[in-house]
Amino acid sequence: MWHHLKYWTKSNTTITIWKIRVATYATDTNRDQKRVPGVLSDLQIPFRVSCTSAGILEGEQKKQKVSEIKARLEDAEALIRKMDLEARSLQPSVKAMLLAKLREYKSDLNNLKSEVKRITSTNANQAARDELLESGMADTLMVSADQKGRLLMSTERLNQSSERIKEGRKTMLETEELGVSILQDLHQQRQSLLHAHNTLHGVDNNIGKSKKILTAMSRRMSRNKWIIGIIISALVVAIILVLYFKLAH
Amino acid sequence: MSDAARGQEFEKKAEKKLTGWKLFGGSKYEDASELYEKAASSYKLAKSWDKAGSAYIKVADCHLKSESKHEAVSSYVDAAKCYYKTSPKEAIACLTMAVYLSKEIGRFNIAGRHCKEIGELCEKELDFEQAIVFYEQAVDMFESEESTAPANQCKKKIAQFAAQMEQYQKAIVIYEDIARQSMNNNKYSFKGYTLNAGICQLCRGDLVAINNALERYQELDPTFRGTREYKLLADLAAAINEEDVARFTNVIKEFDSVTPLDAWRTTLLLRVKQAVKAKELEEDDLT
Repeated sequence: MWHHLKYWTKSNTTITIWKIRVATYATDTNRDQKRVPGVLSDLQIPFRVSCTSAGILEGEQKKQKVSEIKARLEDAEALIRKMDLEARSLQPSVKAMLLAKLREYKSDLNNLKSEVKRITSTNANQAARDELLESGMADTLMVSADQKGRLLMSTERLNQSSERIKEGRKTMLETEELGVSILQDLHQQRQSLLHAHNTLHGVDNNIGKSKKILTAMSRRMSRNKWIIGIIISALVVAIILVLYFKLAH
Repeated sequence: MSDAARGQEFEKKAEKKLTGWKLFGGSKYEDASELYEKAASSYKLAKSWDKAGSAYIKVADCHLKSESKHEAVSSYVDAAKCYYKTSPKEAIACLTMAVYLSKEIGRFNIAGRHCKEIGELCEKELDFEQAIVFYEQAVDMFESEESTAPANQCKKKIAQFAAQMEQYQKAIVIYEDIARQSMNNNKYSFKGYTLNAGICQLCRGDLVAINNALERYQELDPTFRGTREYKLLADLAAAINEEDVARFTNVIKEFDSVTPLDAWRTTLLLRVKQAVKAKELEEDDLT
């Protein structure tokens, strides 16, 4: 199973390290010589299988391989536990060395477990995606019909908006024409107002003149009245004088 | 009925006044004119426009005799107003008298306005030549009083009628003149006038002149080239050049869909189209 992991880790070292470790461990313990071949054979078989398969595995195969790897991981864990028990039951000198090695193996095992987890998680993503797209292949026809419908709708909306723009342009031009005629009317009115303004100035002058003439007339009138009054009184006085002189003689 | 009766009463009184005291009283005419006016207003109430008009004319006569020309003018105008409703010819006669009197007084503005009214009456009667005569008189009056706006209005009408009667050169000159003036005060009406002038040019059918004219308009107003009117004129000129009636109609239809063409322009453009069609047929006959 370590060899399967090689695909994702891209290094041979883990395999060889594990092989060497197990081998050294096995040689260290005389009693476990029986186990060594078992473990080695366990390792070798997967190695061969994994070497023949190439590149990235597809969904089902991946699942198989992943379950295989998990099984092997569990075996390795069991082995390590047994080795642990054996090591504790040995003499203290050998015990310390073997326990240290065991710790190394345990840490390696944990690393590999975490890697497997990581890969399965990405694997799960990949698997889920494959499932989605697989089922999507059957719906491509429906999708294209949907797209056609949406395209038609969008072209219709574009046409509608261009119609509205045309209408808006027409209204704007009409408004412009209206504005032009209003401007012309205003221009005319402005001219007539200016003309009226000028005429008013003339009227003002004329009124002044007529006022002067009227005052002159009234003065003349009063003067004439006075003159006539004086003449009439003079005549009356003359008549009285004449009568008086006539009567006196 | 009572109004008409009262009117007749007033008229009789006024006549008596006139024929009576011929020797004494300088206020004879004024009294008579007052009575005549009262008669005329009661006739108006009774809606007998002819009688009212004649009464107003009598008022004007009295005013003339009493040397007050201003009053005479206004009474003639009142008479003409009454005659609007019945016989336009009488109205025209009254207005011409009014114009003549105002010219004598020296009030050219009023004279011009009345001339314009006469012109409008003639237009209603579809007597375009007379209308042109009167409008030209009005233009002269207005120009002597420096009131350009009414003068331009009359000029526009003259150009319209001239074009309708196929005096295209006259119309072109007037329209271009107005367009040049409008650049100073009212920039937006420039393209309207140039379009009219351009249509008259097309009616004349002289392609070189049309292109020259378009360039001239471009000089006057730099933005003219971008307007739809310029495009229309240029396309029409090209269509006439190629004697292609279909293209001609298409161009006009396009312009019409955005802003509808008024009756005068439609008539003139129709004339141009017929001319083009005739030319096309002629060519077909020869070839």
